[in-house]
Amino acid sequence: MIPFAIAQQTVREALRRRVMWIFLVSGVFLIAMGPVFGFLSPKDSQTVLRSLGLAAILLAGLFITIVTCIYLLPVEIERRTIYTVLSKPVQRYQFILGKFMGGFAVVFINIVAMGIVFLAMLWLQEKRLPPEMFIGVVMTFFQMLLLAALTIFFSTFATPVVNFFLSFGIFLVGNMSSVTDSLTSNNNPLVSNAGKVIHYLLPNFGNFNIQNSIIHPTIEIKNPNVFLFQNMIYAIVYSLVLLTLAVLIFDRREV
Amino acid sequence: MASAIKKFPSGVQARRQKALPIVFVLLLFAMFMQSRIDPMAREMRQEEDLFITATGSLNNEFMLLPLLGFREAAAGLLWVRCDEFFHSGDYDAILPLVRLITWLDPHADNVFITGAWHLAYNFTDSSERSDRRYIIPAHELLKEGIRKNPRIPDISFELGWQNYDKTKDFSAAIAAFQKSINTIPWKGSDDYPYGAPLKTHHILAHAYTKLGRIPDAMMEWKRALQRSTEQLEKDPKSFTFKSMHSAEERNLAMLAQRFADRYTATGHSPTNPTPYPAVLIPPPGTDKTPRPWNMSFRPIVLSVRKNVLKMAGRINMADGARVDIRLTDWEYDLKEKERRKNISTKMLERFDVDSATTIMQESISVRKNKYEREIDMSKDTKMYSFKNKSKLYRVVVSFNPRATSPHVQDRHGYSGEGLIDRPEVIEYDRRPEFMGTKLIDGQGGEGPVWDGKTIPDEKNIKDEKYGQPNRMLKVTLKLSEQQIFGLKPISAKDIVPNEAP
Repeated sequence: MIPFAIAQQTVREALRRRVMWIFLVSGVFLIAMGPVFGFLSPKDSQTVLRSLGLAAILLAGLFITIVTCIYLLPVEIERRTIYTVLSKPVQRYQFILGKFMGGFAVVFINIVAMGIVFLAMLWLQEKRLPPEMFIGVVMTFFQMLLLAALTIFFSTFATPVVNFFLSFGIFLVGNMSSVTDSLTSNNNPLVSNAGKVIHYLLPNFGNFNIQNSIIHPTIEIKNPNVFLFQNMIYAIVYSLVLLTLAVLIFDRREV
Repeated sequence: MASAIKKFPSGVQARRQKALPIVFVLLLFAMFMQSRIDPMAREMRQEEDLFITATGSLNNEFMLLPLLGFREAAAGLLWVRCDEFFHSGDYDAILPLVRLITWLDPHADNVFITGAWHLAYNFTDSSERSDRRYIIPAHELLKEGIRKNPRIPDISFELGWQNYDKTKDFSAAIAAFQKSINTIPWKGSDDYPYGAPLKTHHILAHAYTKLGRIPDAMMEWKRALQRSTEQLEKDPKSFTFKSMHSAEERNLAMLAQRFADRYTATGHSPTNPTPYPAVLIPPPGTDKTPRPWNMSFRPIVLSVRKNVLKMAGRINMADGARVDIRLTDWEYDLKEKERRKNISTKMLERFDVDSATTIMQESISVRKNKYEREIDMSKDTKMYSFKNKSKLYRVVVSFNPRATSPHVQDRHGYSGEGLIDRPEVIEYDRRPEFMGTKLIDGQGGEGPVWDGKTIPDEKNIKDEKYGQPNRMLKVTLKLSEQQIFGLKPISAKDIVPNEAP
C-alpha cells in the first residue's frame, strides 16, 4: 500500500503544476481546432482531424510525461522531503515505484482527457467512433508508459536539465525504428552491429507510431491484435527493466 | 569495485545480486519481443520502405513534423501551397512539393493522381503542345502511388486514363483499367474499401472499342449495365444512376449498330442503306464491286526557317480526321524504352527530364481532304533544344485509324482493315497486345472472323485470341540538323522505310 500512498501524493503535487495544465490545454485546443483545419487535406477533412488529434495527444503527452517525471525525484531531494519519507518504514524501491505510479497516473489522466475530447470531436465530425482511433490513443498511452519509466530511470542519477535532453533524445532516436531496423541489415558489419545495438537495446518508441496506418484505411496491419499485444508487452517489460535499474541505482545513491 | 559494494548495506547488495539477472532476462525478453514486432512493423511500413530503398533519399523520420505525428497535416499545408503555385502559373514550383507531400504522406492518393496529371498535361510549349518528356515521370509517379496504395482503384484508373487519352496506348490503358476494377471487388456502396467507379467500366469499354476488341467492349458495357441496374434498383430516383444506365444502354446499342453497319451486309441503318458493309462500300460513280477505301495519303514536310517546319498534305478522308505529326531525336524511341526500363533516381526524386532530348507531337485536323500547319518550335528552346548528339531527327507523319472519331472510322473500320494505300505507307502493328478482333476477311489479320454474336465471359477474357492488326498510314523522314535549322531543303529523298513498332 505504501507505493499507492506515495503515488496519491505525487498525483496531487503534479496536478498543482501549472506547466502541465498549459500542455493539456494546448493539446485539447489543438484537437478541438481539428475541424477548422480540414481545408488542409487534399482528400478530406477527416484525415486532418485524425492526424491532428493523434499528433496533439502524442505531443502534449510527450511534454507532460517528461515535465512531470523529470522533477519527481530531484524535487524531493532538493526540498529534503525525501528524508522524512525514507526515515519511515519505506523501502527505496517502494518510493521509486510510488513515484512512477503517481507520475504515470498524471500522464494517464491527461491522455484520457485528451482522448475523450478527440473521440468527441470525431463523433461530432463523423457521427461514429472509429475503433482504430481508440487503438491509436492506447498506443500513445503505452508509448508514454515507456517514456515515463525512462525519465524516472534517468532522474535517479541525472539533473532535470540533463534528464530532459537525455529522455527527449532517446525518444527521438527510439522513434527512428525503421531507420535503425534498416541499419541492422547494412553490408558494413560495423554499421550493422551498431544498428543492432541501437535497435534492440534502446527503447523502441517507433513501434507505437501507427498513426499513418490507422488514419489511412488503405493500410492493413496484418494480425493487428498480435501486433498491438506484442507492443504492449514490450512496453511493460521494458518499463520493468528501467524501473528495476532505477531502483538499483537509487539504492546506491546517497541522499 | 568489491570495496565499493561493501559500502552499502547487505540488503542492498542482496537485492542487487537478485535483480541484475532478472533485469538481464527481462531485457532479453524485450529484445525478443522487438524481434517479433520488427517483421510486422516492416510489413506495415513496406510501401514507404520500398521507396526509401529505391532512392536512398529523404526518410520521413528525419523530419521533425512527421516525427511528432503531424505527417498528414504537414502534407496538407504543402498541398495548399501547391494550389497557390498552380493558380499563379508557377508550375515548376509544384513538382518538388508534390514529391515532398508523397514522401510525407504516401497514402495521399489524390496527390499522386493530381501530381501525375500536372506532369503529363500542364507543361506545354507556347502553342499548348504538351512536353511529352514528362509522361514517363508522370507514369512512374502513378505506379509508385499504386505500389503504395494497392487497395485504391483510383490511381490505376488515372494511369489507364493517361494511357487512353494522352499516349493513345489502348493496350496499356486496358491493363490499367482492369487492374483498377480488380483492385477491390465492387460491393454496392462507396464506403471504403470501395470498388472502381462505374466510369472505369465505361472507359474500359471505349478502350476495347479503340483497340478493335468489339466483343470485349460489348461484354464491358453489359457488365456496366448490370452494375448500374443494381444501383438503380437501390436508388431509383438517382439522376446519376439513371444517366449512367441510359448512357450504357445507348452505347451498347450504338456499338452493335455500328458493327452491323460497318461489317455486315444486312441490318443497316439509314446511314448505310447499301447491300455492302460500310468499310467496303463502293465509291460513287464506280462499278458496284465492294472495295476498300483508298486513302491516297500524300504528306509533305517543308523546312520554313530555323526550328519551324510546315506540315501539309492530302488524305482522302472526311473532315474531322486527324493526321499525327511526331518529331523526335532519331534514337528517341530506343532511349525511351531504356528510360522506362531503368528509371533514374533523378527522375523519381525531382521529376527531372533530359533537357537535351527533343520530342514534339501534334495532331492536325483534315479539312476537305487536306491538312496544313506551320509548327514553330523556335520560341520554346527549353522544350525543343535539338541537341541530339547524332544530329539526326525523325519525323513521323501518320494516320491512326484506331484513334480517330467514329464517323471517320465508319469508312475504314476499327483497325483500318477497310483502307488501302501504297504498300510503303501502310504500317501493320502486329504486337500481340495490340491485336483487335478479326472483323473482316482479306484485309490483314489471322484466324477466324468474329461471328458478330459471341460475347466472351469476363472470366475467360484473358484466354481470348485476337488476330486483327492495326493498319496505320505512316511515313517516316530522317532529317539532319541542317534541315531542321532551315539550312537545307527537305525532299522525298528523306523518306525512309518505316520501322515496326
